[in-house]
Amino acid sequence: MTALGFAWRSLVRQPARAALGILGVAAVGALLFDMLMLSRGLIVSMQDLLDRGGWDVRVSAGDLPASGLRVSNALQTADAIATLPSVQAALVIRGASAEIDRASGMPLKAAFQGVATRSTDPAGSRLRAPWTILRGRDADAPDEVVIDERIASESRIEPGNAITMRASCVADLEALPATRLMVVGVAEFPFQTTNESTVGGTLDALKAACGGNVGQEADLILVTSKGDADGTAAAIRAQHPEVRAATNSQVVGRLQQTGFTYFRQISSVLTTVTVSFAVLLITVLLTVSVNQRLGEIAALRALGFSRMRVVKDVLSESALIVGIGGLLSLPLGLLLASGLDRILKGMPGIPVALHFFVFETGALGVHVALLVATAIIAALYPMRIVSRLPIAATLRDEVIG
Amino acid sequence: MKLATLIRLMAVAGWLWPSAAAAQETTPPVILVSRQLAESEGLEVGSVIRLATDASGTRAREFRIGGIYEPTPDPARLGQVPRSVRLHLPELLEMTRPVGVPPGAEYIASVNVALVDPNDAPQFAKDVNARLPGVLARPSGEAAGSAGPFRVLERFHLAIAVVTIVAATVFLLALTIMLVDERRETVGVLRLIGLPVRRILAQILLEGLMVAGAGAVFGLVLAVLSEQLINQFFQWRYDTALVFVRVTRDVALTCVSIAVPLGASATVVASWALLRRGGLRLARR
Repeated sequence: MTALGFAWRSLVRQPARAALGILGVAAVGALLFDMLMLSRGLIVSMQDLLDRGGWDVRVSAGDLPASGLRVSNALQTADAIATLPSVQAALVIRGASAEIDRASGMPLKAAFQGVATRSTDPAGSRLRAPWTILRGRDADAPDEVVIDERIASESRIEPGNAITMRASCVADLEALPATRLMVVGVAEFPFQTTNESTVGGTLDALKAACGGNVGQEADLILVTSKGDADGTAAAIRAQHPEVRAATNSQVVGRLQQTGFTYFRQISSVLTTVTVSFAVLLITVLLTVSVNQRLGEIAALRALGFSRMRVVKDVLSESALIVGIGGLLSLPLGLLLASGLDRILKGMPGIPVALHFFVFETGALGVHVALLVATAIIAALYPMRIVSRLPIAATLRDEVIG
Repeated sequence: MKLATLIRLMAVAGWLWPSAAAAQETTPPVILVSRQLAESEGLEVGSVIRLATDASGTRAREFRIGGIYEPTPDPARLGQVPRSVRLHLPELLEMTRPVGVPPGAEYIASVNVALVDPNDAPQFAKDVNARLPGVLARPSGEAAGSAGPFRVLERFHLAIAVVTIVAATVFLLALTIMLVDERRETVGVLRLIGLPVRRILAQILLEGLMVAGAGAVFGLVLAVLSEQLINQFFQWRYDTALVFVRVTRDVALTCVSIAVPLGASATVVASWALLRRGGLRLARR
């Protein structure tokens, strides 16, 4: 019988303790797997979110897009950027806060995104708004808008309906007249946060909603390069030293140094604690188990089992407990991750499409490596006990005791 | 209503460099510089620096550093090194006032008001909102919206704590089952000499309580020791005075109130199956 088969029989002989040991490893393993997914989850998710729209350079006034600072003379800046040979298209985005009147109840608060495309390239001239149309069509005219699913369901508005909106482009306390706009589509906004509703339209529609009180500023200019994002960002910085132009990877890199660092740190701390906890507990389990079977092991040695063979038995037992527990930890970890992700997405200002826990094969590889290391380290002390076991003395003690 | 108005404004320096002009006809106004900015730029108390609101240095003014301050830790700005200066409001407005805007017509972001009786805050805010259209007054408790993320983090940490407790409980049960099994013969002999099950169970419970209590105390000591280490690490990592981990009396009590009953219960649950067997069967080898 192989060492693994022998270890399996040892576990099956004590089903309760084996099951509890495996369950414990599964729970700890699930937490470990989650922490590994958390360590890079936000970065991977944010990179995916930024890349999804097809805009590979972001031009803003602050170090990070959405920092609150606005690009001045935005349309002229976008016009100039669009003339760069490496640029396919530039999209100016201006945000405003708005209230949508409802038939009954309080007005619905929403963010209004107004966009305008600038391009000298035929391929880039068609408006590609940073949202995805789910129903209806995109808003093209100054009196047309698209709304998100939340507004559609809460206000029971569908494409073809009109809405009455009061938008504030300069200050939240502006008292502007209401504007009627036609809803032509329902869209998904990639950076829409969990606690806000969004309306999208052209920059002209935003101007109409704000009564023309918009100014020359924009929150962001998105740029699609013809392939060389880094070169395009450098060209924009050279052309406009007053703005910050960054590729999607650079934006993620900046976020990595600021907003996301907490989760990387907490993930590192919890990974260390979890692995230490698992090593400690499996060591104790195996040690107690081996101590209870010293007579049995001594008898096996007396029957001819080699020292290496009993050591292998203990290692195999550890590998089985950690291996089965580790396998169970994967579905358990994914389930736990979805719950923890829901909790963390309760933070204000987090885009709905952003995830804190993202599955990556790299994370799975590290998880497996850590579990293998745990199985080996946890078995070291009990292996030492069985390898140094005095056969005759142990058998005598067992008989006398 | 008597009130004192405190206005604190923080201006982030867009441009900053030590002045070459040592001689000044008039003494430059005094400003405070954050410790992080002072360290990164090598600034000292008494240095004269020039501040401007844009990179080209338009309308730059000279200021004398009157002190270096430690910025109030802001959890919402974790990871961002606070390179900031504090200057008197009139000087800030003088620097930032757009061309054509007369003095006194500038915008300011907020005014902090300290009331004689803080309990008047809701009524005071209501009065201000009624009398000054265009101004939004809120009691500071309501204005502290930045606490939201930390409540979410608290829930996240609680969820992780629950998973850890579940894992620990499972391991604990496995361990106690093994330990109880190890003492099967002793328990069998106690049963055979006439000790009732309840008496043995009480002994096991007491033993479980003592072990769990000792474990809880050890855990608390470990937590207090690691509290210092974790705080020192994160304070160094983020260059902040924020406190990340704090083992409070409530936290310690919660831990003990979970750990001790859990440990004792695990011992009793693991022993129960054993005690249901007959004394002879237990004592038999």
